[in-house]
Amino acid sequence: MTISPDNIIFWQWGAVSLNATIAYTWLVMALLTLISWLVTRRISSGTTISRWQNLLEVLVAGIRDQIQEVSHQQPGKYLPFVGTLFLFIAMANLLNVVPGYMAPTGSLSTTTALAICVFAAVPIYGIAYEGPLNYLAHYVKPTLLMLPFNIIGEISRTIALAVRLYGNIMSGTVIVAILLSLTPYFFPVVMQLLGLLTGMIQAYIFAILAMVYIASATSAHTEKQGSTGNGN
Amino acid sequence: MSIDWITVTAQIVNFLILVWLLKRFLYQPVIRAMDRREQQIASQLDEAQAREQKAEIKAQEYQVMVIELERTRDNILAETHAKAEQQKRQLLDEARREVNETREHWQRQFQLEKDEILSNTRSLIANTVQSIARNALADLADIELEEQIIASFINRLNSLDQQSQTLLQKTSRQSSEPVRITSTFRLDSATRKRLTHAIHANLADGIEIEYYESAELLCGIALTAGEGQLSWNLADYIYKLNQDVEQAISLDTQPGTEKE
Repeated sequence: MTISPDNIIFWQWGAVSLNATIAYTWLVMALLTLISWLVTRRISSGTTISRWQNLLEVLVAGIRDQIQEVSHQQPGKYLPFVGTLFLFIAMANLLNVVPGYMAPTGSLSTTTALAICVFAAVPIYGIAYEGPLNYLAHYVKPTLLMLPFNIIGEISRTIALAVRLYGNIMSGTVIVAILLSLTPYFFPVVMQLLGLLTGMIQAYIFAILAMVYIASATSAHTEKQGSTGNGN
Repeated sequence: MSIDWITVTAQIVNFLILVWLLKRFLYQPVIRAMDRREQQIASQLDEAQAREQKAEIKAQEYQVMVIELERTRDNILAETHAKAEQQKRQLLDEARREVNETREHWQRQFQLEKDEILSNTRSLIANTVQSIARNALADLADIELEEQIIASFINRLNSLDQQSQTLLQKTSRQSSEPVRITSTFRLDSATRKRLTHAIHANLADGIEIEYYESAELLCGIALTAGEGQLSWNLADYIYKLNQDVEQAISLDTQPGTEKE
């Protein structure tokens, strides 16, 4: 039984191979970009707007509100990163209902890539916000003794972020696969629906946690949240 | 559970590309549109507020104007009312004056007509009585009637009360002219002697007496001594009759009995 889409190779040319993870990621990227382009090329700033524009505005405004709520800062500079995290993971999980499709988020490679992005984004945003010295000073607070623990914490939460998303999506796939062999027809459908819900929740949690980490690095006023043990 | 680091690298690149794509095609256009809409709504709200303020100012102006108009209207009404009242009073006064003038004129006219009627009546009565008297006297005119008149006159002269007698005596003494006896008929000498005797006996002895004839007396005889006079004359009766008739007419046409 194939669990990771990394192992499904569509095309190979020497050392370069195109596996399902990358292929479906491109599909998700293409869909998101296409929908955005189709809707926003005829965007209206008037009071009458199309349904699709309305949907996108609700999404963007919702993400902005969430970012503002978590960071207590202007959401403008965080929106592309955090919003894309949410939209990519949500879309990748949403397409799980399509037969033959395998969510790229079910691959540990993808979730690791996303976690590495968050891992990199936290200091980038922090340094951009406070300057390098001020940012690095956080690692030796309250004492120099805490430096290794802070670094370990930083790394561990990144790993937790990656594994949480991977585990949830992969488990959904695995459960469906197992149930299909045990009780076909009806029950796997229910699990698929549950998988949709779980996928959405994971997208939300991933984006919010990323925001929380970034916010904790950028604002001294924001309490450090994001204990990595509260995931599903 | 394995990590393919090539895939990881590819996914990182993919993700960064997706971030750029979505920023380019989703976030920027949508946020721009929302900001523009917000600005539009804000400007529309500002405009609406400005319009509302303007309208409020206008409304206040109109309210002031309405109050002004009402006051002006009230003033004009009051003025007109006063003028109308004044004109009414004036017209009433004029009407009253006209009515009074008409009434006075009418009363004067009536008085004149009454006087004329009275005068006519008087003269008619007098003429009638005179003509009756004349006819009667013409029928009766004889010595006997004249004798009766003379007798009546002498009798009246003799039976004068003390006051009238004193008055006559006084006037006859004061007058430089002689005592005049005027009669409508001719007096014979015997009658004149009787009369002279009676006058001498009653007024003053030896007084000078002149005798005249006159148709004015209608029928009778009269004694004139200066300003004093004594007579028996049918004209007196007619005059009294006229007076009575006049009084009777006056009572019928008193102004107080008229309706206004």
